[in-house]
Amino acid sequence: MARSTDELRRAEQRWRDEVVEPRVERFKIPASPVRFYTPDSVEDFDFLEKVGFPGQYPFTAGNHPFEAWRAHAEAGARLGAGGEYGMSSSGRYSGYGTAEDYRDYLLKIQALGSRSGPNVAFDLVTQCGYDSDSPNVVGEVGRVGVAVDSIRDFRTIYEPFTGDLAIDKVASNFTINAPCCVILAMLAVVAEERGAALDRIRGTPQNDILKEFIARGTQIFPPRPSMRLFRDTLVFCRSHFPAMNVNSIGGYHIREAGATRAQDLAFSMANGIAYLQEGVDAGLDVDDFAARFTFNSFGGSMQVYHEIAFQRAARRMWARILKERFSATNPRAMIIRQPITAHIGCTSTTLQRPLNNVARSVVGGMAAAMCGGMPSAYPPFDEPLGLGHSRESLQLSIDATRIMIYEAGMSDVADPWAGSYFMESLTDEIEAEAQEEIGRIEDMGGAVAAIENAYMPRSVARSAYERQRRIEQLEDFVVGVNCFNGERELDLSLERTADEFYDPEHLRTAEERQLVKLAELKRERSERSVSGALGALEIQAKDPDANVMPALIECVKSEATVQEMCDVMRGVFGEAEPIKL
Amino acid sequence: MTPDRKLRVLVAKPGLDGHDRGARVIAYGLRDAGFEVIYTGLRQSPEQIAREAIQEDVDAVGLSILSGAHMSLTGRVLDLLREQGAEDIPVLVGGLIPDQDREALCELGVAGVFTAGTPISEVADFIQSHAGA
Repeated sequence: MARSTDELRRAEQRWRDEVVEPRVERFKIPASPVRFYTPDSVEDFDFLEKVGFPGQYPFTAGNHPFEAWRAHAEAGARLGAGGEYGMSSSGRYSGYGTAEDYRDYLLKIQALGSRSGPNVAFDLVTQCGYDSDSPNVVGEVGRVGVAVDSIRDFRTIYEPFTGDLAIDKVASNFTINAPCCVILAMLAVVAEERGAALDRIRGTPQNDILKEFIARGTQIFPPRPSMRLFRDTLVFCRSHFPAMNVNSIGGYHIREAGATRAQDLAFSMANGIAYLQEGVDAGLDVDDFAARFTFNSFGGSMQVYHEIAFQRAARRMWARILKERFSATNPRAMIIRQPITAHIGCTSTTLQRPLNNVARSVVGGMAAAMCGGMPSAYPPFDEPLGLGHSRESLQLSIDATRIMIYEAGMSDVADPWAGSYFMESLTDEIEAEAQEEIGRIEDMGGAVAAIENAYMPRSVARSAYERQRRIEQLEDFVVGVNCFNGERELDLSLERTADEFYDPEHLRTAEERQLVKLAELKRERSERSVSGALGALEIQAKDPDANVMPALIECVKSEATVQEMCDVMRGVFGEAEPIKL
Repeated sequence: MTPDRKLRVLVAKPGLDGHDRGARVIAYGLRDAGFEVIYTGLRQSPEQIAREAIQEDVDAVGLSILSGAHMSLTGRVLDLLREQGAEDIPVLVGGLIPDQDREALCELGVAGVFTAGTPISEVADFIQSHAGA
């Protein structure tokens, strides 16, 4: 028979007085540096209400009883030389130089066994809606991703995708936000050229513009017209690309920019609510379209327990938002579909003694395993060096993941912390903190309003500064950075033996080669059809009830450039203002 | 620092890179350290940065770049300052700068390069010793 709460509290008090205090005095410290949790930490804990079973509402214990990758994990290991086994089905995020450079890279990794669709990183020029010949983009062409100026470049990216890997047989990923509508139009045109039915095209565009204003910074238009473009892509995807995901909502970027855990969770949820509301206002069925929302990932940190609790709280919150606020009934619409769960976050890696980042990433992988994700040791250790991930670092990262799965058996239990007094209490705490912050944003009028008044971006920057202050004051410790950084510590390095996937020389000449192609395009195309198509786009953009997608498809076919299309929309919608301190 | 006048620093984000965590943290930190800080916001052209540096009569310019475009962007800011006779304003670069580019940046005329893990006090001391020198 369970003992009474009073009895427990008396016992705890006795323990504090007789065991804890004498020890604290003995070591002459102000308080015990460790905490202990009891049933009293989770008062009135209702297991079914708070946790439930994995794969059932409120999904605290996981989206599924087991994840798809786990079903065949042992079989995959027995196959031995399994190429990229253990990576997600979406290909590795990549893209650099010109479309030709990127195409050659894709052919190279296909020759090494890659079976996945393109997971495209676009250069900043494309992400910000400029062309490679724009005067303000010198030095940026093809730099952090592939340069796409027109349908010609987009077509080139898909050249390696034929036969078993045809455009309608692989899933494509596009890290694109403000000009997402333009890229989707290009996808529709290339699919049509290839004779592929649009309803068979699978993929995920990032299409999460709100977090760009808060953290990532590739917004083009002001927040409200940006949401109108989101609506247009959402409606277009549901009617033309039914097998595509609509977006990939990211808390990751928000945390990387400095947000606290609670801010990351609250801002992501507030952004998600705004996207859901757009769909509802457009007359779409939430059970249908929300099931096509995905999440990129939330942020991470080295605080392993907190990150596990965070993921549990996030799943529960999103499920409740869908069910209680949007009256969804489809369980698939209530889950956070994300390729990555807990992780340490790239900002936890250090430039100082970078091989230590392997140890850090394993901590993140363990947290992932304990909150329902694949225990990916992410990121590779050379992340902060700014040179791209080397093959050596990727090998270490993938092997660490395999060791956690196959040797440590970390993925053999769903939600191993379920029912732990400590973890349930921490999960409740994070949820309550985020809920309070969401309330503040709701009072301002929701996510869009909290961007317009700069509340969200400024809060993130303040938190980033607070973290820096804590590190400098030695309140937070970072090994090799603000502690244990003496001269006798060894700085290890790794012998590099593998070839690079891509040729760094290409990067140097990409801009020049891209400019030649762009000039050629402008010479060859019919200026009349371009201006006709752009004129039609302007009319559609000006009508708030119209959908810009059909007009954009015509622009793409006329070989209008990314910037030409975006400039028309800049003219109609205006441009986003830079956010000052 | 001279008691009668606060040193003015322009913290700028040139180019298209949207990663402004470092820039904002430095801006707040220098402000708390007693500097007068002007932060440009994202996506400023080298022309805008040079113009603002001169118009605001700043004692130092800090450029934050994480997109790999640091060589060309920094070079243009330095050229523009030089053309307008403002080469005495020290230019600092922060962000994601691979080791092999540090030296090249200094050869271009950059006063100092500061990457992840640098305490703000170090940047503050550097500016104080270089400004108006």
